[in-house]
Amino acid sequence: MTDPLIALSDVTVRFGGVTALSGVSLSLAPGEVVAVIGPNGAGKTSLFNAITGFVPLADGAIRLRGARIDGLMPHDISTRGVRRTFQNGGLFPEQTVLENVLSGLHAEVPGNPLAILFGLPGARRAERAAVARARALLDLMGIRHLERRPAGSLSGGQQRMVEIVRAIATDPPLLLLDEPAVGLAPPVREQLAAIVKLLAKERGIGVLLIEHAIELVMAVADRIVVLNYGEKIADAAPEVVRADKAVLEAYLGHA
Amino acid sequence: MTGTAGSGTDRASFAASGRVFWLLPLALLGLPLVIGSYVQYIVNLTLVYVLVGVGFNVVLGNLGQLAFANAAFFGIGAYATGTLMYHLKAPFPLALCAGALAGGLAGALVALPALRGIRAFYLAIMTLAFGELMRWIYINADAVTLGSMGMQVPRPTLFGYVLVTDVDKYYVFLAVVTLLVAATANLLRSRVGRAFTAIRDNELAAASIGIPTARYMVLAFAWSGVVVGTAGALYAALVRHVSPEAFNLLELILHFGIVMVGGLASLAGSILGAAVLTAAPEMFRDLPGYEELLIAILMVAVLLLMPKGLASLLARASPLFRQRYFRD
Repeated sequence: MTDPLIALSDVTVRFGGVTALSGVSLSLAPGEVVAVIGPNGAGKTSLFNAITGFVPLADGAIRLRGARIDGLMPHDISTRGVRRTFQNGGLFPEQTVLENVLSGLHAEVPGNPLAILFGLPGARRAERAAVARARALLDLMGIRHLERRPAGSLSGGQQRMVEIVRAIATDPPLLLLDEPAVGLAPPVREQLAAIVKLLAKERGIGVLLIEHAIELVMAVADRIVVLNYGEKIADAAPEVVRADKAVLEAYLGHA
Repeated sequence: MTGTAGSGTDRASFAASGRVFWLLPLALLGLPLVIGSYVQYIVNLTLVYVLVGVGFNVVLGNLGQLAFANAAFFGIGAYATGTLMYHLKAPFPLALCAGALAGGLAGALVALPALRGIRAFYLAIMTLAFGELMRWIYINADAVTLGSMGMQVPRPTLFGYVLVTDVDKYYVFLAVVTLLVAATANLLRSRVGRAFTAIRDNELAAASIGIPTARYMVLAFAWSGVVVGTAGALYAALVRHVSPEAFNLLELILHFGIVMVGGLASLAGSILGAAVLTAAPEMFRDLPGYEELLIAILMVAVLLLMPKGLASLLARASPLFRQRYFRD
């Protein structure tokens, strides 16, 4: 196999005296869906924050297609192709759906501030092209009819969908989804599973997925990584992890 | 956007493109023909406060930062312009550019604490302190500022032509204000404006989609400073007297009132807010002693009835006035 899409080696994250992640290594190939599970406080969101540059590493390295990305600013990591969604929803509530998706295209809309200030034709053309691109994406996901709605006025399921569209607007190679199914009704969860599969298998996006909804994990994951107290205790195919004794103990609290 | 002139779709696209807004300054060209010299002065003052409101709203409404250095930007623009004209006999266009530049630099300076993660109430008190510090400087750097008595600004000239009457000044002001409001509208209806509101709505999410938040914060503050600094420059040319008292906390409250009465994050609202709050004191002038009271009642009434300011009236009248952050 060539370079993995993303590779974490011995990643450690500390908050003061608390070790949130300790020596975690994992890798992901293009088009692969890896679920990250574990009890509350196991370090799942810390793992996402470390990859996306929101928290510094105490130790270890993160490589995207072989190049180090740890230590970069979050917006730099994002423009290199790592996109994420947020556990509590990361949309801009007062922007419309269209404006949210356009914001997602930010780094790919050319035009310097001076050209924009004077409304030069080049800057206007770039804007119009971005609007067309954003609308095509909304069409593709079947939510074009929502484009004028402020994102804050949408239902939970619609918001999740828009956030995913915004995240994949730039065709990133890697997508991190932080508990996308929380608060969604079962039919919407199935829709979500279909979308995750589509992104991975049709578009070749590598997906890291934090999720408690086990049926969603089983439906989409090629592999499951289990975290407990900041350490990786399992990394295997779903049916293997399901039978793993250490995993059962972590969840059920056996001695 | 070609086609037969006058067709329905043409009119719609003309309106949607925002070009319809150019009709306002065009119509305003004829205003001096129908008003007297005193009203002309108030109109000029309104133009100054349009820039004050538009600039302040970028930081307060669009970027969503509780930064109250606006009276300081206004004063810095006025003093930069006044000083150059008084001490160096600089021509007005040059002094005006210097006022804009000084305001922009002050804006970038004020963004620094925000970059260090200082937000909300902490940013509010720091920027208020900055405003008072500037007033201390105006009073004590009297070799330059002439201290608390203030300085008498010479008559502004434009390419050798002296701007004597308020009508002369009006056309210069109208051009400057139109230019800066149009530039601000361009900025807001682009990826820059979206970056501002993205930072306001969710800073972490903004960074996660590739927006360099620190850079855009500096840009928002600097542009706000340029616009409000230019307002200060025009103020110096209009009133021709620049003194520390003109940039105190009461002045800041007026600026804040313009933005809130007009509506946060609404360009059209800022213009309307400036017009109402500049005109109102003049209308109430016949009732001495009740002036401040009536203005206070007006502000409370507007905000009680329209929490989103006069902009919500405009938005109800036509979707054209709803602030958009893209163009298609």
